[in-house]
Amino acid sequence: MKKVIISDATLRDGSHALFHKLTKEHIVAYALAADAAGIPIVEVGHGNGLGASSLQVGLSLLDDREMLETARKHLSRSRLGIHVIPGFATINNDLRFAFDYGVDVVRVASHCTEADITERHISYTREQGKEAYGVLMMSHMANKEVLLDEALKMQAYGAEAVIIMDSAGAYLPHDVQDRVGHLAANLKVPVGFHAHNNLGMGIANSVAAVEAGARIIDGASRGFGAGAGNAQLEVMVAVFARLGIETGIDLYRALDAADIVEREIMETTPYISSVSLVSGLSGVFSGFARHVNLAAKEYDVDARDIFFELGARKVVGGQEDKIVEVAMELQQKIKRG
Amino acid sequence: MDNHLREMITADCQEVVGPSPEALDKLRNRQVFVTGGTGFVGTWIAELVIFLNDHHNFGTSLILLARDIDAFRIKTPHLAERKEIRLLSSDVRNIIDLPADVNYIIHAAATPDNRQHMSTPLAVMETITRGTATLLDAAATLQSLSAILNISSGQIYGRQCCATPTITEDAVGSLPCNTITSVYPEAKRYAETLCSAYWSCCKLPIVTARPFAFIGPYQSLDKPWAINNFIRDALTDNDIRIISNGMPVRSYMYPSDMAYWLLRMLVDGASGQAYNLGSPYGITLRDVAEKVKAYANTTAEVVIKQMHPDNSVFVPDNGLVSSTLGLEIKVPIDETLKRSLRWFRGAFRR
Amino acid sequence: MKKLKVAILGSGNIGTDLLYKVLRSSRLECSLFVGRNLSSKGMSRALSLGISVSDKGIQAIQDNPECCHIVFDCTSAMSHKIHSPILAGLGIIVIDLTPAKLGPFCIPAINLDACLGDVNVNMITCGGQASIPLAYVIGQTQQQVDYIEVVSTIASKSAGPATRLNLDEYIETTEKGVKMFSGCGKAKAILNLNPAEPCIDMQTTVYATVPKIDLPALKEGIAIMVEKIQRYVPSYNLIIPPTYENNRVIMSVRVKGMGDFLPSYAGNLDIINCAAIAVAEEFAMARIEGRQ
Repeated sequence: MKKVIISDATLRDGSHALFHKLTKEHIVAYALAADAAGIPIVEVGHGNGLGASSLQVGLSLLDDREMLETARKHLSRSRLGIHVIPGFATINNDLRFAFDYGVDVVRVASHCTEADITERHISYTREQGKEAYGVLMMSHMANKEVLLDEALKMQAYGAEAVIIMDSAGAYLPHDVQDRVGHLAANLKVPVGFHAHNNLGMGIANSVAAVEAGARIIDGASRGFGAGAGNAQLEVMVAVFARLGIETGIDLYRALDAADIVEREIMETTPYISSVSLVSGLSGVFSGFARHVNLAAKEYDVDARDIFFELGARKVVGGQEDKIVEVAMELQQKIKRG
Repeated sequence: MDNHLREMITADCQEVVGPSPEALDKLRNRQVFVTGGTGFVGTWIAELVIFLNDHHNFGTSLILLARDIDAFRIKTPHLAERKEIRLLSSDVRNIIDLPADVNYIIHAAATPDNRQHMSTPLAVMETITRGTATLLDAAATLQSLSAILNISSGQIYGRQCCATPTITEDAVGSLPCNTITSVYPEAKRYAETLCSAYWSCCKLPIVTARPFAFIGPYQSLDKPWAINNFIRDALTDNDIRIISNGMPVRSYMYPSDMAYWLLRMLVDGASGQAYNLGSPYGITLRDVAEKVKAYANTTAEVVIKQMHPDNSVFVPDNGLVSSTLGLEIKVPIDETLKRSLRWFRGAFRR
Repeated sequence: MKKLKVAILGSGNIGTDLLYKVLRSSRLECSLFVGRNLSSKGMSRALSLGISVSDKGIQAIQDNPECCHIVFDCTSAMSHKIHSPILAGLGIIVIDLTPAKLGPFCIPAINLDACLGDVNVNMITCGGQASIPLAYVIGQTQQQVDYIEVVSTIASKSAGPATRLNLDEYIETTEKGVKMFSGCGKAKAILNLNPAEPCIDMQTTVYATVPKIDLPALKEGIAIMVEKIQRYVPSYNLIIPPTYENNRVIMSVRVKGMGDFLPSYAGNLDIINCAAIAVAEEFAMARIEGRQ
């Protein structure tokens, strides 16, 4: 029987959906439920990871330490994971203390073509005896040959898995199969996949990834994540069971966890809004959605126009300042007629 | 460094040299120039040479060339302060002249750390290719040069066409040249061919050693290699993780054996010949991990993740070194691991 | 006008680009270009430009201390720690472009005069040269500043292996500079690499949390500051003027490189080099006018 490790992004990617206003109560309620369901890895933190709370991408309500401490207290079976992007988080400012709070798995991420900035963070994690994964974000912006080259770097740095993220929700299943298949055939470490649902492909793409050889799949309960949300974790558990893929997760408990997210944490259930669909089509980071909506309102321009313009400029995650710039330019254009 | 660790290294040297230091007599009152002189290989060469000087009055002197000699002074003052050891600070690519009285050269300048191969591939390739050419150009004008030992890599064997229990020196493997993972082995292959060219046209006396895997004192536990990680995790009571099925077969040589073999290849190796440098005794990663756990007396568990079926074998054949140079392994794997753990425990305390 | 002699130590991208800028200066003259390797790209360029070169590293300057009044150190932080006392002993002023942080931080538009008395001047970071002047104006014009954040995005191609390996040092040095010059105790620096082709220009955005915003004073101060910077970095342009939106102050600048050695996308390299030249030219002026 095929086995897959499900890594739960609810309390990390979901942070985008709340504009990073996760509370302690949210974390307690969900961590207990995820732990009870037997979800192997539970990520916690700001949507852009450790040390990312900022005016650029959004300020967290809780600081990193409070989030990790709270989660750690309520996870016993599940391992505690964090997302770390070099350029935001430094070893001295951020990563060093994360280990004091009992982090088990560090997912060191970079834009899909910049893997070499992850060397020191991955090495440092391994030196602490903890598990390090490499994460290539916005992976639709590179072809499979480039992704393999970057993944090989992460593997050499000591990453024990390499996860490619469809951060914009831009993939169709054959795109996933193509990339994941190529990585799985050429890496010694397991390949993972992280879906977004902007084009309605969250589950389909996750299934395609497993069929192509992925061994780690990210999901979020009720799809709670940036933009149109992630691959819906409880649906994934059910679908994988149908396909004979073992996750080790208790379906009823996973459903309970999803109900808790819907009832106690989320403001609105993720859906494919017009803006999210455009975000997927234009290949722009799903996490931009709330910023784009705010800017559209502030400058009285069409959010869809902002997304397409950002896509044309090939912006990457972390470039949220471009949103204001583009919105201002569009406003000027309208004024000038 | 703690005294007991230094005594351990002296005993290691005693063990490999044994009662008959005559095998290395050619080094008496000679000068040896080592590039990459302050690295793992250079440090062990220095340990063995000072042992020969202190216990057998060899009178051998060493020049260690490296980019960062200050680190060496801090790490190993007992070597840096020796009269017969001279430290030279330079990048091997920038050598112009070698001291005129050099008799032997050991070319060990290149990092085997694959993280650097990935992050600075151009510098890695250039150091190996242009560094070797620069060194050989300078060596070509030496008047009293007896031998050059080029340290290549076991990785030059690349992919073997068929499964063999051990790799002989005449095995021809293949390397895919369009991937970042070939940066190091391909540069090393080129450097070997370059040596052949200098050997052929300048009649330089060049011997090549192809190192496999080592574990022991003066290695760094932060290297991204399986056995180093096993030991580090065992010493910190973290689980020892194996991503594959635990079945890859590797072999590990203790560094005193390595240093002794290198000096013997240097003085007695046939010019133009390449020799494997490594233990011929294969062991699976699972067994290595279990042994590390047992000897480290740790609470950690060996976790085999079964993520990747891997039955690869990467073990050198030592038929040639044994029959032509009479070299054998003196430190078996269990002793290698026990001593390594002792060393790293001491190094951790510091 | 008599030119002041400078030597460039380090023949990598920064050193070679500086050479072009020195050649253009009416106050500076490159008397020696020093590297470690005569066949490197930078050395070949210098030779082709008819510049005196040496491959002896710091020794070249020790052998001939009269060759220059100022050394631009474009090597590495580790090397600079060795060079600094040697050059001090020779009475040579050092403008340090490495992240060694031995000398006081210098932003020409802010504290050029104050740096003239120093023998070792540190140029902080590329992102720091772009963002710190703006952060400084925020600190000068606003009564209370709770937090300042600076975000730079640079083209992937303009970040070499050393930059990539040292992102943490870049962030920590830039944060230190922002706090020091703005007087705000809480600061954060972020760096993004963008691989888009054609390469993007360097862009730096500064945010601040200011409880009682005085926007007119800020706008006026920023306009003056931008003009000052443009005197030594002509392509430093304000693309988002100081704006108060969503409870934050935001402003953004773009820096296009002059395309001297690396193409124009390397605005990050350009701005730190332009700043270093500005410092050297000021030293030259001071010497001519007998101020120093």
